[in-house]
Amino acid sequence: MDALNNLMYGFGIALEPINIAYVFAGVFAGTIIGMLPGLGPISALALMIPITFAMEPSSGLILMAGVYYGAIFGGSTSSILLNAPGVAGTVATSFDGYPMAKQGMAGKALAIAAYASFIGGTVSVVFLMLVAPLLSKVAVSFGPAEYFALMVLGLTAVVSLSDKSLVKGLIAAVIGVMISIVGIDTQTGTERFTFNSIQLLDGIDFLVVALGIFALAEVFYMLLRGGGGKEVPRNVIGSLKLSRSEVKQIAGPISRSSVLGFFTGVLPGAGATIGSFLGYSMEKRLAKDGDTFGKGNIKGVAAPEAANNAACTGSFVPLLTLGVPGSGTTAVLLGALLVMGVTPGPMMLEQRPDVFWGVIASMYIGNIFLLVLNLPLIPLIAKILDLPRPLLLSMILIFCMIGVYGMSFSVFDLLLLLGFGLLGLGLRLFGFPTAPLILALILGNIMEESMRRALQISGGDWTTFIDKPISLSLLVIATLSLGLPLLKKRRNKAAAAAN
Amino acid sequence: MTRLNVNQWLALVLALLAAAYLAMAWQIPTFPLPRPVDSDLFPKVLGVSLLLLATLLFFEKPSAIAGADEIDHEATNGPLLFTPWARVIVTSLAIAAYAFLLVPLGFVLASTLLCVGLTAYYGYRRHGVNLASSLGVVLALYLTMTRVMDVYLPTGVLPF
Repeated sequence: MDALNNLMYGFGIALEPINIAYVFAGVFAGTIIGMLPGLGPISALALMIPITFAMEPSSGLILMAGVYYGAIFGGSTSSILLNAPGVAGTVATSFDGYPMAKQGMAGKALAIAAYASFIGGTVSVVFLMLVAPLLSKVAVSFGPAEYFALMVLGLTAVVSLSDKSLVKGLIAAVIGVMISIVGIDTQTGTERFTFNSIQLLDGIDFLVVALGIFALAEVFYMLLRGGGGKEVPRNVIGSLKLSRSEVKQIAGPISRSSVLGFFTGVLPGAGATIGSFLGYSMEKRLAKDGDTFGKGNIKGVAAPEAANNAACTGSFVPLLTLGVPGSGTTAVLLGALLVMGVTPGPMMLEQRPDVFWGVIASMYIGNIFLLVLNLPLIPLIAKILDLPRPLLLSMILIFCMIGVYGMSFSVFDLLLLLGFGLLGLGLRLFGFPTAPLILALILGNIMEESMRRALQISGGDWTTFIDKPISLSLLVIATLSLGLPLLKKRRNKAAAAAN
Repeated sequence: MTRLNVNQWLALVLALLAAAYLAMAWQIPTFPLPRPVDSDLFPKVLGVSLLLLATLLFFEKPSAIAGADEIDHEATNGPLLFTPWARVIVTSLAIAAYAFLLVPLGFVLASTLLCVGLTAYYGYRRHGVNLASSLGVVLALYLTMTRVMDVYLPTGVLPF
């Protein structure tokens, strides 16, 4: 009953006309940005931070949550129409979505994606509403040692689940933490790595790094690839209607993948990409016509779409209840919240119920908007893919500049942005994952603070981290999360050699 | 002597960085009052970690890098100024110039120049559309930031 009352309170906030406008704007902007190949939810959210500066935190987060799941859904449109997923979470959608488009059923594929996203999103919001308050009650008992262990787990999970090299992921994470500790140490007032520069005393702003590593690096990367894009095939949309038997076929996959997606999203490091692949492979295994997956099977579109939207919502659980983001995207969201003066975590439910429940309620509304927007407007929105690529690249640059300058009024920060853009390009070209870096950047300071506070309390005794059952278990899981992929790799190699 | 692979080059660069970082970490002054953990411990742990990871990377076999083969090799045969890497360098220089000209020229003028210039440089030939859309977007951003969100942006040579 409590949850229902709280939800009603949340609806009171989310249904304020200004917040409805923000949900609409967020979902719309997210859908468009997500559709542009290369620009994923992280870039979309980073670009939105400057816009949310002057907003009420609840409105700001409502807007950004809209952008987030809008971007995930938008990614499916370019996956289906162009076989060019705008977002990693929609790669699995392209396996069957693009073949459907080639067979003249793009409209059907897009409609299935919209329905599946809607149901996946809505089901997972119900789970979020039920799980989040319970988890935040547990989290209140967390001390600095547990928090430190949790952050270590968050980082190792993101590193281990990236498809790139484990060592490179860890290097990216270490670099992220290194960037985060530049500036004055808040506990002792000591300057660290400031190179006697006044501009670095306050540290390096998260937005500068996020926009540089993601948006600017993406522009550089597109320039290296020729700056052009694939032409949009014309008149490929077709009918958006589904027959009754088709609805029956996709009902099962959507409901199963919604639940699976939510719980995948809750796990640190997993998120939409893993969720969508798990949903896809589960349905492929369960389906009687599994051999037609990859050739335009409607279940192959429904399952990953339901799972990726559900996972997006699921990833809000650790962010809102523990204050620890489980993915690069939610790390950007955490940074945005901190910029707005809100610290997510177990106390947020009590201190800022307006933000907490407002966001949950806005997700329901956002999901309805997703459906309302995407079905009738898809043919229209798809025209955004016609925007000349050179113009698009220049505009992204301007957005980055205004974002950074509007926040710090510092020319130095613009140059830093350029530096991080080039660093981001380098990381990308040499196969370093960027999600661990951005997560470490956000967690670095809090991690150091928790570690030092825990040691302060224990009088410098390092066993404090393994004395407590929760922190010990979290650290064991963190170690396993790094060790298991290595073992699996070795076993696969041995099996391949034996064959 | 055998040639070093990509990972080994990267590892060497990272090891050098880690060494420099550690040298700086050792110069962080200690707090006058004794504390279990001082400001220098965490950076030292990070420096050592990076050094260890660089060593591991040195011995890791390089795998095919996703996306590296997507570089536009056709364009490398074109005029030097329009090769993929020249595009990145010119864009970087344009951003640096923008940073220095933003205050004296003002946001609207500097941003429009950057947007129009780079769009044309990237190969967009409809200059009228380029100018109109760049100016439109920049003005919309400027008015939103200054009038709606009360964020100051430099006016420069323009009176508004």
